[in-house]
Amino acid sequence: MNDPPPIGGAPEMSRKSYETVRRGLAKRRAAERRFRCYGLSAILLGLTSLALLFASIVSNGYTAFRQTFVGLDIYFDAELIDPQGNRSPESLATGDYGGLVKRALSKVFPAVSSRSEKRALYSLVSTAAAIELQRRAVREPSLIGKTVKVWLPADDDVDMYVKGHIRRGAGESARRLNDRQLAWIDELIEQGNIEQRFNKTFFTAGDSREPEQAGIWGAAAGSFFTLVVTLALSFPIGIAAAIYLEEFAPKNRWTDLIEVNINNLAAVPSIVFGLLGLAVFINFFDLPRSSPLVGGLVLTFMTLPTIIIAARAAIKSVPPSIREAALGIGASSMQTVFHHVLPLAMPGMLTGAIIGMARALGESAPLLMIGMVAFIVDIPHSVMDPATVLPVQVYLWADSPERGFVERTSAAIIVLLAFLITMNALAVYLRSRFERRW
Amino acid sequence: MNIIAEPQNEIKKERPKMRYLETDRPATPFAREHIKTVGAITVDSPRITCRNVNVYYGTKQAIDDVSLDIGRNAVIALIGPSGCGKSTFIRCLNRMNDTVIGCRVSGRIGIDEQNIYDPQMDVVLLRAQVGMVFQKPNPFPKSIYDNIAYGPRIHGLAANKLELDEIVETSLRKAGLWDEVKDNLAHPGTGLSGGQQQRLCIARTIAVGPEVILMDEPCSALDPIATARIEQLIDELREQFTIVIVTHSMQQAARVSQRTAYFHLGKLVEVGETAQLFTNPMHQLTEDYITGRFG
Amino acid sequence: MQRTTLLLTLFLMAAAAFYAGSRRSLDIVRGHTRELHSLPSYYGYFTALWCGLPALLIMGLWLAFETSIITHLVIAELPPAMQSLPDERINLIVNDIRNQVGGSAFAGESDPLIQAAAARYQRLKDISAKALTVVVLAVAIAGATFARQRIRKEQRARNMVESATVVFLIVCSTIAIFTTIGIVLSVLFESIQFFERVPVTDFLFGLHWSPQMAIRADQVGSSGAFGAVPLFTGTLLISAIAMLVAVPIGLMAAIYLSEYAAPKFRATAKPALEILAGIPTVVYGFFAALVVAPFIRDLGMQVGLSVSSESALAAGLVMGIMIIPFVSSLSDDVINAVPQALRDGAYALGATQSEAVRHVIIPAALPGIVGAILLAASRAIGETMIVVMAAGLSANLTANPLEAVTTVTVQIVTLLVGDQEFDSPKTLAAFALGLVLFVATLILNVIALYIVRRYREQYE
Repeated sequence: MNDPPPIGGAPEMSRKSYETVRRGLAKRRAAERRFRCYGLSAILLGLTSLALLFASIVSNGYTAFRQTFVGLDIYFDAELIDPQGNRSPESLATGDYGGLVKRALSKVFPAVSSRSEKRALYSLVSTAAAIELQRRAVREPSLIGKTVKVWLPADDDVDMYVKGHIRRGAGESARRLNDRQLAWIDELIEQGNIEQRFNKTFFTAGDSREPEQAGIWGAAAGSFFTLVVTLALSFPIGIAAAIYLEEFAPKNRWTDLIEVNINNLAAVPSIVFGLLGLAVFINFFDLPRSSPLVGGLVLTFMTLPTIIIAARAAIKSVPPSIREAALGIGASSMQTVFHHVLPLAMPGMLTGAIIGMARALGESAPLLMIGMVAFIVDIPHSVMDPATVLPVQVYLWADSPERGFVERTSAAIIVLLAFLITMNALAVYLRSRFERRW
Repeated sequence: MNIIAEPQNEIKKERPKMRYLETDRPATPFAREHIKTVGAITVDSPRITCRNVNVYYGTKQAIDDVSLDIGRNAVIALIGPSGCGKSTFIRCLNRMNDTVIGCRVSGRIGIDEQNIYDPQMDVVLLRAQVGMVFQKPNPFPKSIYDNIAYGPRIHGLAANKLELDEIVETSLRKAGLWDEVKDNLAHPGTGLSGGQQQRLCIARTIAVGPEVILMDEPCSALDPIATARIEQLIDELREQFTIVIVTHSMQQAARVSQRTAYFHLGKLVEVGETAQLFTNPMHQLTEDYITGRFG
Repeated sequence: MQRTTLLLTLFLMAAAAFYAGSRRSLDIVRGHTRELHSLPSYYGYFTALWCGLPALLIMGLWLAFETSIITHLVIAELPPAMQSLPDERINLIVNDIRNQVGGSAFAGESDPLIQAAAARYQRLKDISAKALTVVVLAVAIAGATFARQRIRKEQRARNMVESATVVFLIVCSTIAIFTTIGIVLSVLFESIQFFERVPVTDFLFGLHWSPQMAIRADQVGSSGAFGAVPLFTGTLLISAIAMLVAVPIGLMAAIYLSEYAAPKFRATAKPALEILAGIPTVVYGFFAALVVAPFIRDLGMQVGLSVSSESALAAGLVMGIMIIPFVSSLSDDVINAVPQALRDGAYALGATQSEAVRHVIIPAALPGIVGAILLAASRAIGETMIVVMAAGLSANLTANPLEAVTTVTVQIVTLLVGDQEFDSPKTLAAFALGLVLFVATLILNVIALYIVRRYREQYE
C-alpha cells in the first residue's frame, strides 16, 4: 500500500447521503409494507371470490339432491285403471291413474269439497305421480284391487316449502302456496306422510317444465356424445398437426402462417365458432340442427388450437438425442417419430387433450348458435339425435322462473364442476405421474 | 386450471431460484484439508471487518470460516479458481445473497461496529453504503439520465431537479462517461456499448454516494480496450471509495489492487500486499495457482 | 345398408387388404423377408390404404351432398305453383316433407302433395343409400386388388406409406387455416347480404337498435333499426368494468406471486387462482344473475341509488373475476422473463423490493403486460354467457354502470336463438355483429401476440 488512505471517516458526500437515506427509510419501509399488502390482498380477493362462488352454488344446490315425497294409501281400483278389465299392459296403459291420486288425497282430507279447493289439494302432488303409478301397476298387476302405501313425488312448490324456500311469513299473494295448502302440508308432515328422499329423478330424467320431474341425464348424455365426437376428431387431428409442425414442417412462410392461425384461433371468441357452425354445418351441409354431431364439430374447431399447442410442447420436450439415436440406427424419420417421439410425448399430449375436453365440456355459447338450446325431453341415443349439453341445461334452467329450478341449476352446476374437477385432477395426475425430466 | 393450454404459455420458464454462479459451488467434494489463512488479515483502518464467515447453500458449504479486513480507500482483489467462493463472499458484503433462496450466512461482517447480518440492520441502508457492480453490465431499460438518477431518486438524495442534474453529471464524470454521453442523456442506456454500459453501471452506483463499491468480475464480459478503461477508472475511484473486486485475471488483480486475497474451495488461503503475494507467495496452493499449475 | 355398418365393413375390408398385402409380399419372396425393400407390414398398409382411402373419400363427398341434392330433386318435382313461392316458404315445405319422412308429423294432418313428395324423398334416399353401398364397396375392392397386383419385391412400400402419412399430417395442420377461412367466409357472406339491405354506415354509426321491428317483411317500418352503436358502447362499458377489476387484481397477484411469495405459498395459491379460469362461463353467468346483481341492487337501494337488476356493473364485476387468472398468469410469465440482472441492479442500489418492482421490473415487463391486457380485453369483449345471463337486452346508449346495457354477443345470441328464416335482416344482423366481433378481437389478438413475441425475443 504505497498510497496511504486518508484517515478520518468517509468522504463528505457519503456521510451526508447516508443520513438522508436513513431519514427516508421509515417512509419507504411503510410503502414497502403497503405494496406487499396490496399484492396479498389481490390474491386473497381472487380466492375469496372463488370461495364465494363455490359457497353460493353449493348452498343453493345441495338440497336438490333430495326430493320431497308424499306418502299416500293408494287403492289400485281396477275400474279406474283397467278399463278393459283384462290386466293387459295395453289396457293398463289407458287407465286414469291421476284419479287414484285424487281419491287418495280426498280420503286424507275429507273436508275438502269445493272445486277450487280440490284443485288446490290435487296440485300438491306432482303430475308425474300418475305415470309412476302406471309403471308400478304394469310391473306388478297383483297390486290391482289392493291398497298400498306409495310414496309419490310432491309438487315443486311443496318441495320448496318443505325445504324452507317458501316462507309462511310472507303474505298469501306473495307465495305460490295459499294458506289452506300450507295447512294440508303441515298436517301431512304431522302424520309422517311427507319425507325427503334421494332425488333419483334428477340423475335419470331428461328436461322437463316441472322442476320435480326435471333431470340432467339427457343433458349428460348429450354432453357425452358431443365430447365423443370432439375427442374423436380433435385428438388425432391435433396430434397430426403438432407432429407435422414440430418434426416435418420446413421453416417457411406457409408454416408461419399456420402457426399464426393456430395462435389466433386460440383467442377467437367461442361464439364466433358457433356462427361458423351455423353457417357451414347447418345451413350449407344441412346437418341436423341441435345434434351432438354438429356440436362436436364446432367444439373440435374450438379445442384444436389448445390440443395442438399442448401436443407441440410435449413433442418439444422430447430431447433431440432420442431422435438422433433412432435415426442413427437407420430408422426413417417417420419411424423415429411414431416409434420413439410419440410414445414419449404421449402423456403430455393426453394431458393437453383432457384439458381441451374439460374446456369443451364447459362451453355453451357456440352451442346456443347451433340449436342445442332447444327444450328436449328425450334422452339422446346417438350423435344425430337432438340434444342439449350440461352447461346449456344450466343456462336453460337458470332462465326458468320457478324457484325449484334455482336449486336444480345449482345442482347441475355442482355435477358439471365435479366432472371438470375430475378431468383436471386426472390431467394433473397424468402430468405428475409420467412427467420426465431429461 | 387450464392455463397450460394458453398459447402464450407455450414457452414457459420458471425463473431459476438458485440462480447464482455455477462457479460458486465447490466443484469437487473431496475432503477439505484444514487450511489456515496465511498473511495479515487485518489492516490499520478497516472499513469492513469479516470474522469467521460461513456461507451455506442449502447443505452445501460455499464459504468456510473466512476472516478478512477490507481497508479504507484501497482496492482489494479476490482471486482464485472457479468455484472457490470469491463471488459468494463479495455478495455477502452487501447482503445480495439475501435474494438467493436457501442461502445462509453465519459469522460477523461489521461496518461501523455494526454487524450487517444483525436483524436490526436495514438492507436498504447497507446497500446505499455498499454499492455493487456486476459481471454483466445491467443498465435498466431507461434513459441514461434515468439510470443514474434512479438511485438518488429512490433515496431522496436530491432536493430538486437542479441537484439531481448535478449528481448525474458528477457521477458520469467520475465514471469517465460524461464526455461520451452528455449530448444524448435521453437515449436508452441499453443502446451503449458493453464497456460504456459497465461504466454507466459504475456511475449509477457512485450516484448513490456509497463508501464501498463491490465489483464482481466487472470486466469479464468486456473487450480488452474497454477493460483497460475500467481498470483505469478503478484506480481513479480508489481516492474516494473503498473497492473490493473479484477477478479471474491475475494480471488485472496485479494492476488494480493494493491487497490481494486468494480463495481456494471456499477457504481464504492467503492474503497480503498484491506485489508480495504475486512475487513471493507464502502458501503452496497460492503458488500453484499463480504459476498456473491449476486454475 | 346403414352408414355405420358400411363404415364398419369398409374397415374390415381394409384389415383384410392389410393381410392380403403383407401375405402377397411374403409369397413373392417365398418368406425371405430380407429380399423385400420394406417390411411386409408396409405392403399391408399400402394395400389397406388403397382399399380404404378412395372409398372413404367418395363416401364423405356423397354424404356431404346427398341431402341437398335430394332436396333439390324433390323440390323440382313439386308443382310449379309451389316452386314459385318465396324461399322461406319453400324451406317450410321442405321441413314438412322431412318431418313426414321422419315420421314426426301426424299422417292425417298433412296435404297429399306433401305426402307424395315425402314418399319421393324417401325413395330417393333409399336409392342413394343402396347406390352408395355398391359404389363404396366396389371402389374398395378395386383399390385393394389394384394395390395387391402392384406389389413387387423392390417396390418401396414404406416410402409410399410414409408419403401418404405426411400428406395426412399436412392436411391436418392446415385445418387451422381452413377454420379461419371458414369463419371469415361464413361471417362475411351473410354480412354482405345484410349490408345490401342495411347500409354499412347506418349499422356502424346508427344510435338506435331495435331489430325486433323487422319480423315480418310486409310490416310498415320493416327495415327495423340496426344502429349498433349502443351495442358497441355497452360492450365497451362492461369490458371496461371487467378490466378495471381484473387488471389491478391480476397484476398485483402476479407481482406478489413472482416477487414475494414463498415457494410453498406460490405452489398453492397459483393453481387455486387458476381454478377461476377453469370454471365454465355459464356458472359465472348464473352467479352474476343469482348473487351479484341482486346484491348490488340491494346495496344501491340502501344508498338510495336506483340500480337496474341487470346492471352493467354486476356483469362487469363477475367478468372481471373470471379474467383475473388470465391477466395474472400471463403477467406472471412476463414478469418472470425479466432478467435477474435487472433486479440485482436495483437491489444493489438499495432499492426496496417494491421500488425494484415498480421502477424497474414493471417498466421492463410493460410491453408483455400490455400484450397480456390486450388478450384479456379481447376475451372480455368476446365473452358471451355472463352477459347473456346477467346483462340486459335493451340497447341503452349510456355510460352509467348502474343501468342495464346490452352487448354485441348478447344480441348475436338473442337474434339467432329460436327459429327464424335464414335470410331475414334480423338473422343476418347477427352475422354482421359477428363480423365486427371477429375483426375487433382479431386486431387485438394480433397486436397482443406481436407485442408478446417481440418482448420474448428481447430477453431471450
